[in-house]
Parts: sequence; C-alpha cells; structure tokens
Amino acid sequence: MTAGKPQLRSLPIVLFLTLVAVLPAGAAKKQSKKPEPPPVTLQLTTGSPEARKLVEKALAIYLDQVEQTQAIEMLHKAVSLDPAFAMAHELLAQISLDSAEQIAEQAKAYNYREDVSAPEREVIEWYQDAYDHKLLSAITRMNDLLSQLPHDKTVVWMTTWWLTTQQQYDRSIAIYERSGINDSPGLLNNLAYNYAYVHRFDNAFETMDKYIAALPKDPNPQDSYAEILRMAGRYDASIEHYHASLAIDPEFYSSQFGIADTYALKGEEARARREFEAGFRRFTVPEQQRVLWRTREAATFVREGDFDWADRAFQAIADDAHAHHISLAEADTYRQMAMYQEDASHALQLLSKAEAAAAAGENTNHTAIQQVTAQILRARVEVAIKMENTNVAQSSLDALTKMSEDAGDAVIDLAYNGALGAFLVSQQKFAEAMPHLEEDPNNPLSLKLLAIAYGKTGDAAAADRAVDLLSNLNDPTLEQALIVPAFRQCAHDPACGGSVKNASIKAPHTL
Amino acid sequence: MLKFTNAFALKARVVTGLLFLVSAPCLIHAKQLAIVSDKANAATNLKAADLASIFNARMRTWQDGKPITLVMRDPGSDDVQLILHRILNITSDQARALIQAHPGVVVVVDTDDAVQHVVSNTRGAIGIIDLYSLTNNVNVLKIDGKLPLEPGYILKGN
Repeated sequence: MTAGKPQLRSLPIVLFLTLVAVLPAGAAKKQSKKPEPPPVTLQLTTGSPEARKLVEKALAIYLDQVEQTQAIEMLHKAVSLDPAFAMAHELLAQISLDSAEQIAEQAKAYNYREDVSAPEREVIEWYQDAYDHKLLSAITRMNDLLSQLPHDKTVVWMTTWWLTTQQQYDRSIAIYERSGINDSPGLLNNLAYNYAYVHRFDNAFETMDKYIAALPKDPNPQDSYAEILRMAGRYDASIEHYHASLAIDPEFYSSQFGIADTYALKGEEARARREFEAGFRRFTVPEQQRVLWRTREAATFVREGDFDWADRAFQAIADDAHAHHISLAEADTYRQMAMYQEDASHALQLLSKAEAAAAAGENTNHTAIQQVTAQILRARVEVAIKMENTNVAQSSLDALTKMSEDAGDAVIDLAYNGALGAFLVSQQKFAEAMPHLEEDPNNPLSLKLLAIAYGKTGDAAAADRAVDLLSNLNDPTLEQALIVPAFRQCAHDPACGGSVKNASIKAPHTL
Repeated sequence: MLKFTNAFALKARVVTGLLFLVSAPCLIHAKQLAIVSDKANAATNLKAADLASIFNARMRTWQDGKPITLVMRDPGSDDVQLILHRILNITSDQARALIQAHPGVVVVVDTDDAVQHVVSNTRGAIGIIDLYSLTNNVNVLKIDGKLPLEPGYILKGN
C-alpha cells in the first residue's frame, strides 16, 4: 500500500509526542509492581563450568589486554571441553585469524543456537544475517541486543566493532560513549580509530593517551597511536611513537614497517626503502604481509616518479610470487604495475598477465580469485578510459557487472561501483556517477572523481568536503601515491592543468 | 595496529588474505537513512514525491484517512539535511520555517531512539532515522519501491 493522494486536512498539534519522546521508556511503569531485573550482562550457556571460565578469561584477555592469539587458544580449549558451547563458537568465529575456521565456527554457533539464552541467540542470528547479506535484519537484531544489554562490555565490543566494519563510525562512537565503559583498553583502541576515521583527531589522541596509560608496557598502544598520528598527517610524531613501540618490544615488527610507510608518505623515499630493508633483514614476516610491504617499498619509486625502478621492483615481487605459487599476489602485482604505466597498451598487456596469474589460482580459493579478477577488470576499465577506448571499457564493465550480480560480494561490488562511476564521469554523466562513487570512497581515484562530480552538479559543500578528505588522505598505498600528492599540488593551484599525471583517468577537473 | 578482526564485514581481508587489496577505512562514508512507520501501518512503500508532500504539509492523511505525522531529528542534523537536500532541495533554515508554518505536521525529537519510540506509539506516524539505529519496534518503508541498501535507493549519500 502506498500513501494516499494529497488531502488538505488539518491536524491537531501533537505536542505531547515531544514529551513522550523525552520520557524514559520505563517511566509509565513506575507505579506497577517492581519487575524482576533483567540480566545486565551477557549470560553464557554451557554445561561445562570450566569452559565458561575459559571463555570469560578469553574475553578479558582479548578486551583488556588486546591479546588475540591467547584468547583464541582459550576459546579452542573451551569448545573442546563443550563442543555444543554456541557462544564460544561464535566468539571464535569473530576473532579467529583463520578464515576457514571463521566460517566453520559460525556454522557451529548457528547449529547450537536453539539451546542458548535469548541474547546469545540474538548475537548468533545477527552475525548469521550479516553473513547472509540480510543487513536490515542484522541491524535490527544488533540494536535489540544492545537495548537489552547496553552496558555489557562484550556486547558493546561486538556492536561497536561491527559498526566500524560497516563504516558507521559515528554510531559506533555514540554506542561506546553511552555505554559508560571506560576501563577496556581493547575498546579504547577501537574507539580511537573510529574518532580518527571521522577526523576527530583531538578525541582520538585523548583516547590514545588513555590506552597507553592502561597498557604502558604493551607496544600496540604506541603502534596504534603512531598510525593515527600518521592518518592526521603528523609524520614526525608518528615515527616517534613507532620507535617507542619498538623500544617496548623490539620484535613488534609492524612498527618497523610503520616507520617505513610513514617516511614514504612524508616524501623521504630513500629513507623509507632503507627502513623497509631493515625490517626484512631483521624480522621473519608472514608471507602475505611480506608481499604487502614489498609492494609498499616498490611504490616508493612510483612516488619518486621513477617508473623504471618501480617496474623492476614490482616485477621482482611478481616473479617471487610466481616461484612460490602465490597466484593472487602475482596477479595483483601485475595489476598495480598496470596502474602507473604511461603507455596504455603496455598496461593492458600487464593486465593480461594479471588475469592469467589469477586464473592459475594456486594456493587460493574461488572467492579470492573472483575478487582479484574484479579488481583487474576495474583496472581495465580505467585504462580503457585513459585510452578513450569506449568499447574495451564497456565490455570490461559488462563483465564486471555480471560478476557483481552473480557473486553478491562486497569487494566485487566496490570494484563494480568504482569502475562504473569512473566510466560515467568519463561520459560526463556526473549525477549518475555519484551514487556509484559514493559506494567506493576508500579509493582515492573514486574520491577524486566524486569531488569532481559534486562540483559539476553544483554541490559545492560536498565537493569541498571531498577535496579536503582527499588532500588529507595519508594512506600508504599505491592508489594514494598515484592520486593524492599530485592532487594536493593541483587542488589549490589555478595554474595547474588539472590532469593528474598517471591517474589513469581523464575527467574534467574543476577543482 | 587495529588488532581486532571480524569474520564478515572484513571477510575480504581475512578470507583472501589479500591485504594488498585493502586500503584504509573510508573517511567519507555514505549515510544510509530509513523511513519507518508504526507496526500497524499497512503501507509498505512511499514515493519520494509523497515524502516531499508530507513535509510540505500538502499530504496530510493516509489512504484510510489516518493523519500522517512526520517524526525526525532537528533539520540541522546531518541525516535530516541529507533528506532536505535529496528530496526537497531546501536548506535547514527553510525546513525550520516550514515546520513552524505547519504546526503538528512534523515532530522534532533529539535522537533516533526517540524517533522510533514516537513512531511506534503513534498510529499513522512515519519517522526518519539512520538505518543503523533500526529496531524491531517499527517497520521500514520502501521508497520508490526500494528498501535501504538496495541499488538505486534514494536516501543515501553524504
């Protein structure tokens, strides 16, 4: 049923509604018999007292000491003591570092959900709905759980963190602030990042000070503080905190690479490479992270505009990945090489290599192959736009559209929206492009095009906001290297030609 | 280092292990708004044009004759500004003037929880909320045939 046709009919003033709204929900029940107070914490259902203790301890270690690995070990013990402990399975699904285990544990939690308390069941069904892409139901369940247990540390952690992953930073902050919880280092860490994501850096720093005070002998607070300072563009202070982290724990290798990343953003590329090399010499780094940081090191050449050396560095990574049968790392390395090529034909050749590597699919799974393939198709669209080859752009976009429709995968959807938004901008269809680009705001290229589209459609305030965000984007990725430094130079320079070198896109630049 | 991981929303990060594909969390994120009604309201869909008419006090009753009350936060709040911009193309000050000119049509409250509380207790009321505040006390209406998060849903943006 839809709303009826307009009818002119006066309404009584409903002032009482405003009063109702500000009354506590329970005010009307004041005269009634005192009800049984509901539990104020999440009750864990298990037949094993020992397993319950382990889960409680795992949560304490995870939230109060930010020790994920130890917490996971305890949860493993708990589910071995009580294989039907639904909430232990759910927590394992949430914090495990093994993707296959996450999926398996979620399935177990869901299977055992019938015999648990209502709040526990709400938790499990909320996450299951999220997993099944039933987001409206997931949101409803989450809020219903929160309304029952708004001050429970575990519930507040689960809700604020999930909202962070959904990029709902303001709501995540609001829930934390209303919870009254101020003694959980884990929550402080998360809260500080949320403040930083919405550019409330003063709040973020204040929160970080509390986090450091809570865990003065732990390197992670210093490392987190350093990362947030870097996000704020305070590079020197960031490096100081990374060094403080290493002083506490010389084996905390992410801080060493954090220093390298920060020098890269600061524009000291040779120093950044020395720091990366020092890190690789000193630490044995998990292979995925090693690839990540080698890629960042290669990107320092792109930042310098030295594309020959960039090619050598990226090619070495691709060869290494090929030799170790890490197909997707090889594929993505070729994709990144394509992104900075000035010769579009060569870029397309590199993308063909990327597709071949992805298709080889060694040591990976179908979902990951699909996701990388989507990124490659997106790059094809961008290169084709640069070449002004509408046919290639359209055919790549068609393939990406089909993937997006078939897969229902967030990563693929981002690639699709970014590519379509870029294509529409290249066609001067700014208003049509905006909703797609808004879906992909992590990507500096999409953010830049969004600023252009806002400007072209007359929304100057939104354009200014996007320009400001892009100019202050301090993320050590190749995408940032390609877009942001040149954008900063151009944004406030009327003499600038407007085209950002190697930005892989041609669009009218009005900024 | 943001240590916490999550199985679902960060699935791409964890399942694939493709850290190199993931850039920093976004700094400009699309707001998602929902239009909600009381549970007894049979309406499931609202045209965007009707929403504008309700706000302008040109449309004051449902098909069954029940009065329509619009419940929302202050026109200066980010969420409401999005609607004002997308649906009505007016400023916050113009919206406040409209509300004053048509008393009783629009009820302004402080929070999304209050919006849902009023809507759930007022037959014929609809409210504007941040989608992520949604509870099961209200129904979500489609706008122009689309639910929030569906492609083409109009009430999202920055």
